[in-house]
Amino acid sequence: MSPRLLLRLHRIGLIAMAYFGIFYVLVNSAAFPLIAGKTRASQEAFGHSITVLGATFSWLLPLPVRPDTAAGYLQWRGYGFFAIAFAAWGLLSACGAVRRDEDRGLVESWLSSGIPRLRLLATRSLFFAGLSAEIVTLAGAAGWLGCLIGGTPVEVGGMVGESAALWALTLACFGVGLLVSQLVSDFRAAASAGSALLVLMFLLDSIGRSSVNRAPFSDISVFFLFNKSNAVAPGGTFDPTATVLLFVTAAVTTIVASLGFVRRDVGSGLIRTRPRRAADVHDASANPLLRIPIVRGLWIRRVGSLSWTAGMAVTAAAVVLLVNVTATFFATTPSLSLYLRGLPGDVHTVLLALIWLSFAQALVAIFAITCVSRWSGDDSSGVLEMQLAEPLPRWGVLGERAAELTVTVTVMSFAAMAVILALAPAEGISIDVGSMLSATALLVPFALTFAAAGALLAGWRPRVAVVVLSTVAVISYLVFELGPLFKWPDWANNLSVFQLYGTPLITPVFVGGLIAMLAIVVVGFGSAGVVLARRDVAA
Amino acid sequence: MTSAIVMHGLTKDYGSGHGLFDLDLGVSEGEVFGFLGPNGAGKTTTIRLLMGVIHATSGTATVFGLDCDRDSVAVKREVGYLPGELPQFGGMRGSEVVAYLVAMRGGIDRSRVRELSERLELDLGRRFREYSRGNKQKLGLVLAFMHRPRLLILDEPTSGLDPLNQQTFHHLVGEVKAAGSTVFLSSHVLSEVEETCSRVGIIREGRLVSDMTMDKVHELRFHEVVIEFGGDVPEAAIRAAAGVEDVAVEGRRLTCTVHGGFDALLAAINGSTVLDMVSKEPSLESIFLSYYSK
Repeated sequence: MSPRLLLRLHRIGLIAMAYFGIFYVLVNSAAFPLIAGKTRASQEAFGHSITVLGATFSWLLPLPVRPDTAAGYLQWRGYGFFAIAFAAWGLLSACGAVRRDEDRGLVESWLSSGIPRLRLLATRSLFFAGLSAEIVTLAGAAGWLGCLIGGTPVEVGGMVGESAALWALTLACFGVGLLVSQLVSDFRAAASAGSALLVLMFLLDSIGRSSVNRAPFSDISVFFLFNKSNAVAPGGTFDPTATVLLFVTAAVTTIVASLGFVRRDVGSGLIRTRPRRAADVHDASANPLLRIPIVRGLWIRRVGSLSWTAGMAVTAAAVVLLVNVTATFFATTPSLSLYLRGLPGDVHTVLLALIWLSFAQALVAIFAITCVSRWSGDDSSGVLEMQLAEPLPRWGVLGERAAELTVTVTVMSFAAMAVILALAPAEGISIDVGSMLSATALLVPFALTFAAAGALLAGWRPRVAVVVLSTVAVISYLVFELGPLFKWPDWANNLSVFQLYGTPLITPVFVGGLIAMLAIVVVGFGSAGVVLARRDVAA
Repeated sequence: MTSAIVMHGLTKDYGSGHGLFDLDLGVSEGEVFGFLGPNGAGKTTTIRLLMGVIHATSGTATVFGLDCDRDSVAVKREVGYLPGELPQFGGMRGSEVVAYLVAMRGGIDRSRVRELSERLELDLGRRFREYSRGNKQKLGLVLAFMHRPRLLILDEPTSGLDPLNQQTFHHLVGEVKAAGSTVFLSSHVLSEVEETCSRVGIIREGRLVSDMTMDKVHELRFHEVVIEFGGDVPEAAIRAAAGVEDVAVEGRRLTCTVHGGFDALLAAINGSTVLDMVSKEPSLESIFLSYYSK
């Protein structure tokens, strides 16, 4: 197992966390003086607004401590979200390292080369520990640098302590993932069971934080242990006992997982379901959905598509329910009123438009990127070759992919729209249904814009398609979000793909942007068709 | 007899001497053609060129008169294909994989699917990821044979199959041949080629080194001969004898190989005292190994 191979196996998590960890804290800490103002009075007013907002968000993030300072703001906005993101990364990396690599036959081939099981798991764990340490350190350094750029330096000691706690949380979740993966026999089951466990621990901590009475057993939550430290914030503390307990959790779960790995059969879990006693099947599936072009792909990927739809609907609901408190926050924060200045209509509608549609754009862009990732994978795994072994033209495969994505994004977007329209009246938000329909419909060409560029990249260089597209998406999103805040010139703001969408809920449809998106879709998929027709498959 | 496959100067140059070069080969309709060669010789490249999955650097390949590159969709209507390795279909059941791929072809012969999966003892109710290597190969065979194609292109079809299922496969090939279909299969397994093919091509380092009927292959057979003499060994006469090669003498024991008839060897040892003489027919494998090593 060379470090290069291990790095390759962790590449998706590595890229995602590097983007998120470094850019997110760098931007949030550097932008503090722009958001909160440069005078002490404006920063105190900002801090008060954040405290009010933080109380509403206490189910999600710990209560803010000294949010009138860059360090306190970074603690709340940065490390609060990091707990969720790094925990998820740790869990999924462990599930992938055990179950996905086992599905691929990698584990079997490593073991057959003479590597003992304990050494294999120890190597994977130590490699991830090293990798996560690097990302956590880089994120900490980015936060420190961001605060320095913003003119409000933070204490290095506090940053080191918080980074240690974050690293310990990540490793504890990795350990949980390793352990759960020994129990079940496939990646999906491991990721689902592990996620359920983490959500339960998150809720234990969250309920304890946002209610008068602490939830029972909340002490056993890894999130509770992590949130005992808030060392970045001025006056915050680093809890060494809680951090050590997180490391102990990581060590114990990893050791127990190792024992489970030694005991179980490769390819199966410790929990074994009773073998199916049904008679052998010798017929092709009678499912009519598998025979209809486009529908067959939707059916095969139904679980993922429904998860995306549910996730988008839940996000939409959360945004609607938080619009009122956010409106108060924006109204009391002069720098943020920049976003609202000059925009017509009721402030609640404007905020819903700005927040929801920016979330929705990001979500459908991410969904399009995951589709591109699958298309690239179909090429290298041989699925595309099998499809092309049937009398199906290459452009037909491309067209089916585009149509499938279109249908899924349409369902996701309109399901979220239905949730918004159902909840908005109760929150006192008036929404023009026609505008909402236009805004929702526009998400489809927006997603297709990413998909078309991705299809072209996947047809040309499948291995680099996802990396390039992700980079474009992240830079576009940052430009889109930060341009108005940093008062960047129009030409810079217009570099963002997100600008093409416009603000359709509060202003008329941006026809120029729509034409540009459609042009990218036509040219992108057209070129992708030419490239796919000319190139060798799986070469 | 009309041609099922025709390749003219077919070249796929990957650079550094890798690929396929100037392949001229034809396979007649109804023929079972075995394509033999060591790993990396260019067998799979040839098959993927025929399937239109990759594009030729130069030359042409046609299937039933249709260009494999330009008319690849029409070609695939006539072809059943088994790739060297099936892709991962993850959690899909075997029955769903069959229905999914057959739908792309437009129709399904349920009785044929049932017949094939029963004969190969394949449970289509299990998930793809639960299949063993052999079961995945059986699924690939069902997918290739299920629509009764005019031409079957099979890349190492018995890889991973147990002897009983290999036998079933041989019977299937015999049946489709009897029904008039053409089979183009690549293989390392000589017994399989001997049992199923009517003609073989041998490829080495991207170039066709031999193309012959099985009868011709059998003609190429030679004998390994060991003679124990009672007196002096007539080594010079034996070395000079036509068709006698690889002569080695150890004491009064001589070994050699004899191509064609034994008349020249018998003439050379005429008058000598022969205590024992053993002649062995080498395996077909030895014949091909002599080709590969040339």
